[in-house]
Amino acid sequence: MTGGAGGDGLLVVGVDIGNSTTEACVATVGERGTDYLGTALTRTTGVKGTPDNTEGAVAAVRRAFDDARRARPGLGSAPHVVLLNEATPVISGLAMETISETIITESTMIGHNPTTPGGSGIGVGTTVAIDALSGARGPTIVVVPPGRDFDDVAAEINDATDRGVEVVAAVLAHDDAVLVVNRLHAAIPVVDEVGAVEKVPLGMDAAVEVADPGRTVRTLSDSYGLASVFGLDPDQTRQVSPVARALTGNRSAVVVRTPSGDVTDRRIPVGTLTLAGAGKTLHVDVDAGAEEIMTTLARVQPLQDATGEGGTHVGGMLAQIRDTMTDVTGRPASEIRIRDVLAVDTVVPSEVQGGLAGEVSPERAVALAAMVRTSRSRMQVVADRVAHELGCRSEIGGVEGEMAVRGALTTPGTAVPIAVLDLGGGSTDAALLDRDGACSAVHVAGAGELVTKLISSELGLDDRDVAESVKRHPLARVESFFHVRHEDGTVQFFADPLPPHVFARVVVMTPDGPAPVPTRRSVEHVRAVRREAKRKVFAVNALRALRQVAPGGSLRLLDFVVLLGGSALDFEVPDLIADVLAPHGVVCGTGNVHGTEGPRNAVASGLVDAWARR
Amino acid sequence: MTAPAAERTLTLNEIGPAKRGSRPDEVVVAVSPAFADPFTKTIVDVPHAEVIRQILAGIEEQGVTARMVKVWDTADLAAVAHIGARLSGSGISIGLLSRGTTMIHQRDLARLSNLELFPQSPLLDAEVFRRIGSNAAQYAKGESPAPVPTRNDQMARPRWQAKAALLHLKEFECIVAGRKPVEVEPVISRR
Amino acid sequence: MTATQPRSSRRTEILESRPVNLDGFVEEWPEKGLVAMESDFDPAPGVRVEDGRIVELDGRARADFDFMDTYIADHAIDAEAAEAANAVPSVEIARMLVDPRAGRDEVVAIGRALTPAKILDVVKLMNVVEIMMAMQKMRARRTPANQAHSTSAKDNPIQVAADAAEGALRGFAELETTLGVVRYAPLLAIALQVGGQAGRGGVLTQCALEEATELELGMRGITAYAETISVYGTESVFVDGDDTPWSKAFLASAYASRGIKMRFTSGTGSEVQMGNAEGRSMLYLEIRCILMARGAGVQGLQNGSISCIGVPGAVPGGIRAVAAENLIASWMDLECASGNDQSFSHSPMRRTSRLLPQLLPGTDFVCSGYSAVPNPDNMFAGSNLDVEDYDDWNTMQRDLQVDGGLRHVRDSEILQVREKAARALQAVFAELDLTPISDQEVEAAVYAHGSEDYPDRDVLEDIKAAQSVMDRGITGLDLVKALERGGFHDVAENLLNVLRQRVSGDLLQTSAILTGDFVPLSAINDANDYGGPGSGYRLEGERWEQLKKLRHVTSAENPETEVS
Repeated sequence: MTGGAGGDGLLVVGVDIGNSTTEACVATVGERGTDYLGTALTRTTGVKGTPDNTEGAVAAVRRAFDDARRARPGLGSAPHVVLLNEATPVISGLAMETISETIITESTMIGHNPTTPGGSGIGVGTTVAIDALSGARGPTIVVVPPGRDFDDVAAEINDATDRGVEVVAAVLAHDDAVLVVNRLHAAIPVVDEVGAVEKVPLGMDAAVEVADPGRTVRTLSDSYGLASVFGLDPDQTRQVSPVARALTGNRSAVVVRTPSGDVTDRRIPVGTLTLAGAGKTLHVDVDAGAEEIMTTLARVQPLQDATGEGGTHVGGMLAQIRDTMTDVTGRPASEIRIRDVLAVDTVVPSEVQGGLAGEVSPERAVALAAMVRTSRSRMQVVADRVAHELGCRSEIGGVEGEMAVRGALTTPGTAVPIAVLDLGGGSTDAALLDRDGACSAVHVAGAGELVTKLISSELGLDDRDVAESVKRHPLARVESFFHVRHEDGTVQFFADPLPPHVFARVVVMTPDGPAPVPTRRSVEHVRAVRREAKRKVFAVNALRALRQVAPGGSLRLLDFVVLLGGSALDFEVPDLIADVLAPHGVVCGTGNVHGTEGPRNAVASGLVDAWARR
Repeated sequence: MTAPAAERTLTLNEIGPAKRGSRPDEVVVAVSPAFADPFTKTIVDVPHAEVIRQILAGIEEQGVTARMVKVWDTADLAAVAHIGARLSGSGISIGLLSRGTTMIHQRDLARLSNLELFPQSPLLDAEVFRRIGSNAAQYAKGESPAPVPTRNDQMARPRWQAKAALLHLKEFECIVAGRKPVEVEPVISRR
Repeated sequence: MTATQPRSSRRTEILESRPVNLDGFVEEWPEKGLVAMESDFDPAPGVRVEDGRIVELDGRARADFDFMDTYIADHAIDAEAAEAANAVPSVEIARMLVDPRAGRDEVVAIGRALTPAKILDVVKLMNVVEIMMAMQKMRARRTPANQAHSTSAKDNPIQVAADAAEGALRGFAELETTLGVVRYAPLLAIALQVGGQAGRGGVLTQCALEEATELELGMRGITAYAETISVYGTESVFVDGDDTPWSKAFLASAYASRGIKMRFTSGTGSEVQMGNAEGRSMLYLEIRCILMARGAGVQGLQNGSISCIGVPGAVPGGIRAVAAENLIASWMDLECASGNDQSFSHSPMRRTSRLLPQLLPGTDFVCSGYSAVPNPDNMFAGSNLDVEDYDDWNTMQRDLQVDGGLRHVRDSEILQVREKAARALQAVFAELDLTPISDQEVEAAVYAHGSEDYPDRDVLEDIKAAQSVMDRGITGLDLVKALERGGFHDVAENLLNVLRQRVSGDLLQTSAILTGDFVPLSAINDANDYGGPGSGYRLEGERWEQLKKLRHVTSAENPETEVS
């Protein structure tokens, strides 16, 4: 077969280069209509919209020919034309900044949560190093440095007690609290695993409280409790209230009263974000939170550019995003215009400054996704290179959004007017095709990548691959070698034992079997974080994007909304979006291109369709 | 400062035939035939008294109980550990060879599988034994401990391979074929 | 504490701190088999043949044979000649091994009829110099060669390819890889093959894995040979591994049926290490392994204690026994890949002394293998020699005028083949839609030393790609096509030529390797013809000129410059 001019029409290939995947669709176009023969999907090579895409595009074409059971181009057949998408002219970037922090001064508090403290109750006394125990007077709290054996510590405390020293509590460096308490003649509350125990001020009034298993401290987490323990006046009580707040929810706690010791929950001045619209320019403090930022953004639409105050965190965040964009587009940072931002509130577990035992506090943070427009010229370079590699014609066949709508229309049960929501990796795109055949499209910042980032930071995973896996697959807990309990509570049994490395762990149920999630959190917590991250990005962006294409900004005037793109394959995102659209009376569902391809291949198919209509 | 560990000795007093436990909060520590007698320390001279003291401490700190069993008719670590796991009320066991090689096992696993394996006996010290005890206890409670990091040393071969073989042979000498596992009470005393 | 310690001299302190004292040494315990080769508990030699069938072997009647005895009696010993050969005094046979006037064929013929205890009895008479003398004559291939490990602590395929190319260029005839994460295997096997052929056409490659996958990679032509098929000297150790001599022989024939070169692996110390020596010396049990290999009809054996080297290394005379086991493999007319392949000692001096009995006489592969990556990247748990020893090795070859299979290569050439290997692999991965290799990774490969010098790979994607290699049924021919399409015509040609060998079957001959012109060099066409001084393989001519080159040699013509 040569030249693509077979008896059944011309061989035409549509290729859609996306942020992470490249899709191809091969068809014959003849007088009797268009026959779709095969499709393929490969990983995008290089950054979308750059000449590096050629390799992936060529690979996708070759594989689509394999799928169509045609000899590969160059090996006996050649397409008549290869059509590329005019890549969505946006590139997106991400940044995150913490906006609150907890600081402990003068080592006034130990608020970490060792898994196994010892004893229970509260002990109030003076802090004394274990080596100075013999000279201690009055109620005493023993402080034990690293390197001391639990048997010896218990013996020394017992000796001291026998000699009349009133030991009321202990603070240990090692994980020895239960061991020591089990060896004492009289039980006392003991807090252990205090890594920086040498920083505990000695000779100071202090209190140690340990609650029974399954309970939390009551006295030290209560301002008046602290006031009673230390005999504070109203002014002093006001001062220590942050200490009480910081200890809430812990099973054990230590508070040392030092002359100016304090715990502060401080807002970090992150800086001001300047949003410049066509008519006006507004400023918003980033530490005001995501809602305030998004409200301000809505007031300046359409956004012309966003800048951050120099020398502040937000300045740094935007600079970081601009740098990435500079790398991608090859244009100087000064020419990069940010055309959309999505701000999301999140929580990052952070180490407390001045803590003695690696205390972690959930701090508030803001994540920003931003988007810029790129020039269109570079896709032509890709087309030229594809043409050279495959020895055929190649051209830019159409704008992505428009093509996506055409492809989406091959979903059974759809009709114009139709809107699509393309849930990608970097941006969420919406397009509308009305009854007159007119098409409009918008792009908003924030999509799958941002969801992954939120999951990773909120769970403290520090591993993008694991976060990605948590995003994509449902959770379960391995309860024995022969059964798991899924996140919805159902139990599944296995005939063959599960692998040892997943035993008793929270896992994601991947197609290759359960994979452990490195967290101490419960299935319920991980699930809540995952769903909330998806809601904060996709549900919010679905509304933002569709409002911009809907006639008069009214969602009620949309009839059909078809979800496309990789994230439309997600096991819960389509439901989350359908839920937020339902009140507006919109029919929303996942695309099924050609009735077989699911939400994939819409743009590639749309390219072929548009060419056939010419 | 702290009393040198070498001052402690370990005696395993036989109580009677080892029985299957019924407490769901116990970990069985199963040791090989030559453990504590005639051997008294691991390949790198960690006293058996300290090995057991640290393992039991790791279990106790988690609020879990421990029972000790001596296995007589095999010196194969997987077999020793698996016998322990089948006797354990929680199904979790720690198996120990005299030279220090250690394994955490679970009764539903195949004998040759394991939850955690510490094959390089020369690299196991008191702190590692403590963490092994702690992890086994956490498994017994149905928690998900992070596995104790295993270490590796390519030069362990020239230094320890032959001594390990020698200790292995000696341990084999102490096997009493056909003798059933015995429950033992560890007595650790200071000299 | 210090008060109770006797005072030692400063000299003792200095000696105490020498690296050799970090090594472990133990007393012998012959009753349990913890003894190298001189044990009262080994059986006395003896054989009785009835109706052409061996009915008694080393004092054990057929009715009492274990399956090793049965296998050896039925398949490994020339029964017809056995009684006569075993009647020859051991000292006569030992002298034949050393005497240049006794031809190799004659010595092989008598060896084929000896029992394990008789073979042991013969080599026990030989000191280490005599063992080397005999090795010089009994090695199957005339030309000595060497083998390398190319692995990566991060299982990084680009590193494996680049170091394979450099190794091939430096002279290794065979390259071997293995994995940290087993599922990476197909990618590393491809990397080793592509890198090797980019370095020097005709180098042979293998990937050490569990037996089924190793066989499959071989049958697909992604690897060229196999080596890690382990055999043991006692029935109990075999049974522990769910194996028998027959199952190993079956596996060997599977390779032969596809024209794929393979050899078995064994070594002194493995049985006693597992506590199942049945009271025999390490060398006696190893002789049983060697005979088992010969009985199975494989062309060769990797031995020299291998991963158990710490055991013979710790007993008296252990390294002499290791030299003897290599000799016996050669004497039994097998290709011998002679160990020196595992971290052996903290002492550089002791590492060298362990090496000399193979380096000086020359063996089919002096190391099996030499670490062509830094030892921390060696996933065979480290070798006796690694990349940092290249210049020492080359100098020893030049000092003693012996050929250890390597040569000094100029930096510019090395950088060139490393880049070529990385680029070729980049093209193959792209053509086969495997995880992409970036230009930064190629750049890193050119100048790197170890795995930490490379950008991290996306491990999950790599493992998916590795799985797809297996699922899609990719073969060696697909690699050839990908290389050709990717513009690496010469590398494609090299690989195709290696694959062609399995049709001709030439690599099934004993001790076969391929020259740069794809001429198989084996015991058939390059038979060892040593017959005393002035005969056999001599390091001379063009090859000697190559080996005279080192990194720094002062020019005689102009002493102000260096030649290299």
